[in-house]
Amino acid sequence: MQKLTFRRGIHPLHGAHEGKLPTRNMPIEDYVSDSVTLIMSMNIGAPAVPCVKKGDQVKVGQVIGQASGFMSVPVHASISGEVTAVEQIPYLGPAPVMAVSIKNDFSDTWVDDLKPLGNVERVDPKLVIPAIRDAGIVGMGGASFPTHVKLTFREGAYCDTIIVNGAECETHLTADHRLMIENSERIVDGLRAVMRALNVEKGVIAIEDNKPEAIAAMEKAATGREGVRVQPMVTKYPQGGEKQLIEAVTGRQVPSGGLPIDVHVVVLNVGTCAAIADAVIDGKPLISRVTTVTGCVREPKNLRLRIGTIAEDAIGKCGGFSETPGKVFFGGAMTGLCLPNISVPTAKSTNGIVAFNEKESRSKDESPCIRCGRCVAACPIGLNPYQIKVAADAGNFELARKLHVNDCILCGSCAYMCPARRWLTPSFKFAKDKLAAEAKAKAAAAKAEQKGGKAQ
Amino acid sequence: MSENKSMGQVFFNGIIPENPTFRLVLGTCPTLAVTTSAINGVGMGAAATFVLVCSNLVISLLRNFIPNKVRIPAFIVIICTFVTMVQMLMQAYLPSLYESLGIFIPLIVVNCIILARAEAFASKNTPILSAADGLGMGLGFTLALTLMGSIRELIGSGSVFGLNVLGAGYQPMLLIVLASGGFLTYGLLLGLFNLAVRKLEEKRARKEAEEA
Amino acid sequence: MSLRLSTAPHVHNPVTTQRLMICVIIALLPCTAVGIYAFGLPALILVAVSCVSAVVFELLWQVIAHQEVRIKDCSALVTGLILGLNLPAAAPWWVAVIGSGFAILIVKQLFGGLGDNFLNPAMAARAVLLASWPVHMTHYVAPTFFAGTLGFDAVSTATLLVTKSAALQDLFLGNIPGTIGEVSKIAILAGFLFLLVTKTVSWRIPVVMVGSVALFSWAFGGDPLMAVLSGGVLFGAVFMATDYVTSPMTPWGQVIYAFMIGLIVTLIRQFGSYPEGVTYGILLMNICTPLIDRFLPRHIYGHVKTEGKKEAKQA
Repeated sequence: MQKLTFRRGIHPLHGAHEGKLPTRNMPIEDYVSDSVTLIMSMNIGAPAVPCVKKGDQVKVGQVIGQASGFMSVPVHASISGEVTAVEQIPYLGPAPVMAVSIKNDFSDTWVDDLKPLGNVERVDPKLVIPAIRDAGIVGMGGASFPTHVKLTFREGAYCDTIIVNGAECETHLTADHRLMIENSERIVDGLRAVMRALNVEKGVIAIEDNKPEAIAAMEKAATGREGVRVQPMVTKYPQGGEKQLIEAVTGRQVPSGGLPIDVHVVVLNVGTCAAIADAVIDGKPLISRVTTVTGCVREPKNLRLRIGTIAEDAIGKCGGFSETPGKVFFGGAMTGLCLPNISVPTAKSTNGIVAFNEKESRSKDESPCIRCGRCVAACPIGLNPYQIKVAADAGNFELARKLHVNDCILCGSCAYMCPARRWLTPSFKFAKDKLAAEAKAKAAAAKAEQKGGKAQ
Repeated sequence: MSENKSMGQVFFNGIIPENPTFRLVLGTCPTLAVTTSAINGVGMGAAATFVLVCSNLVISLLRNFIPNKVRIPAFIVIICTFVTMVQMLMQAYLPSLYESLGIFIPLIVVNCIILARAEAFASKNTPILSAADGLGMGLGFTLALTLMGSIRELIGSGSVFGLNVLGAGYQPMLLIVLASGGFLTYGLLLGLFNLAVRKLEEKRARKEAEEA
Repeated sequence: MSLRLSTAPHVHNPVTTQRLMICVIIALLPCTAVGIYAFGLPALILVAVSCVSAVVFELLWQVIAHQEVRIKDCSALVTGLILGLNLPAAAPWWVAVIGSGFAILIVKQLFGGLGDNFLNPAMAARAVLLASWPVHMTHYVAPTFFAGTLGFDAVSTATLLVTKSAALQDLFLGNIPGTIGEVSKIAILAGFLFLLVTKTVSWRIPVVMVGSVALFSWAFGGDPLMAVLSGGVLFGAVFMATDYVTSPMTPWGQVIYAFMIGLIVTLIRQFGSYPEGVTYGILLMNICTPLIDRFLPRHIYGHVKTEGKKEAKQA
């Protein structure tokens, strides 16, 4: 079958099998730790509100944080045991977040009010999206956007294609790869559930061609399922970027500032699909996920971690560090977020824990730009990163906006290619944040003015 | 503003702090065109200084009689008079210099420095102060042009004021006496002058800060 | 245990500025070797003086201006080497020193150092030298080495048009008067191949520029092959027009840039008073590079053509 792709892009760690070699053949192992810490803001939007207190006994799947509004999802206990703390903890962002810590009693007793809906081909389509919402499912590819919000369209919008994102273009990660090999049926079930809920006839499972085993497994699982097909993709970064995937598969481009639904597409990660299947078929909320633990650890593994597992415990399960780590991050090397220390808990979107040794994590100073144009050749959006960087560094965010910095997906391709090691992506992130804050302030001012006008 | 300025200050102002060539970047056309030798620079500077002093003086004397609406034509007529005088004098007594400066002598009429000083200074100040300003500005212009002319003549022909200083073995860098060499020399001198002034100001600021 | 915090990406392509510069130097080695072989000791001295003085000037500037010393990135060495290869072998050594000084101090450092110069330093220096000491800069000597017994018999067995093929052969091997680096077309092509294999430069600028020179020479009634192989067209196309800093970044920008260089070169050769126009063609288009980068429309994901109209309406 013809392999599809998008324009430009890069091949990170091409000579090193994208850093995936150590774990690509490691079967998923279950791991339950002594304790977990579940942060309440695991989704984009409003954080959940804790509804347990210190000393409470909780069961697996019990709601411990209630959703606060539409753009919010509940958080469930991922182990059974005693709540040891409900407190603010520092996390990856600048502000501390609310978190619930649970000590494991290893009885693994589930709550008794699970509501399984049974076979996805016979389930009432109307019940699917509420089930997804109640299961606390968010985009598990890294974005952590609440899935029920994604599947609820504004008036007049419709969807004709659902793309399941199995590209896993990030370096080092093999969690989705293993999930597709070992849980292929579940992924197709999840896709079918959503297809039926949204009355969509076309489901495409897109997988990069560096994962032939996953393609084979998914093709087997998709055989005989209505409207579902597997689409091999060229191995190129960022193939798994939502916009790039949509362009590659459907030939449509999401309009600037728009959403995939504007071009009648919904993109779901393979992990999200599997979680949807669990939620619909078994009624089980999202309490675990597959995470790749790799880098300078003794035995790199793909672990099925309970949500909220401390990074240190997961690394311990993999035999600990093989050498002194210089840097540990959640996610792949292209977009991963650095951990300040290894006592940070994982979240629903943590698809990898990667440790780099001293040498790999040595940061390089920026040297002068030589205008070689490698960033322009790399940018999957077609921006001119060099010009935006000049504007952003000069503090001219308005110019950066005119150069379309807001279309930047922060994939890091330009910064990866830059021979002068310029910090392109951080500058763009900064400019985007600044512009968003400005727009917000402007909107607030306009609103206040409108109110004032009314009062008069 | 003029009352609290002494004549010395006004005079010195044109030489360094507001040097027309290197600080105000006025009159760049003759600066670039005639400074192929030091003597050209001196000649051009002297002619401009004469016009500047005389026109400043006369415009200042007439400043209360010239209607505001027609002041520019009036200034130009006054300037023209003196430029024509210079031109005729030069043609009579310094024919070789007149030859080498050529069209740039009559073009003094439209030299920004002269009109700018008429507009910015002479039309608002007393005749004596205006003449001092004209002399200062003119000398600043002359010094700048002579400096540039000397440098270009030295590098481009190996001599200064026609005297061969670098010896017969020197192979002159032709580019410097060509038009592009004029721009290069001017740009570099401009940069150096700015650097020097900035350093001086920093020093003064530091001194003041220490005293305070 | 202290962990480093940094923003993504955490991995980088191993290609660094220094590595790119070293690739260019390696690609220049065949030309340098042939040039020195052809013109002997004076050529070696000239190239060496040019390289050393370029690096020394860069070092001096960075020390005097209290900047971080970055001579390790080899960019000054590249400038010095290219300038040296652009001099006729008979030029005196001080011409190389002044050229390097002009290239590094005035063209490169005064405008902000590496990456901020708007002209190719070596090209600008060559133009200055040409205007300042035209006699030295156009005094070409014939190579001395092919006169002896070192004939390439295997190549000269061509049967077609003996006189013309002999001339072509000389062009390829370097048996013509010219600047040190530009004489042997084979050496230049070898360097180009190396640059392509290492992905240091893309094929666009050299190929389009050479094609454009051939096209316009033919259009103006000249011999396209001779036009391409004589003078500095090949050397300029491979090593000077491709200078990152002063050439456009976008693929189409590069095509326009290279095409226009070809046009200007041919116009100067055919109608100008200079016999060679490569230097000025490249310098003129260097100046246009920021304009090309700025005004050439780019296709940006998510911006369909109708959007411009919509924005205009909203405004």
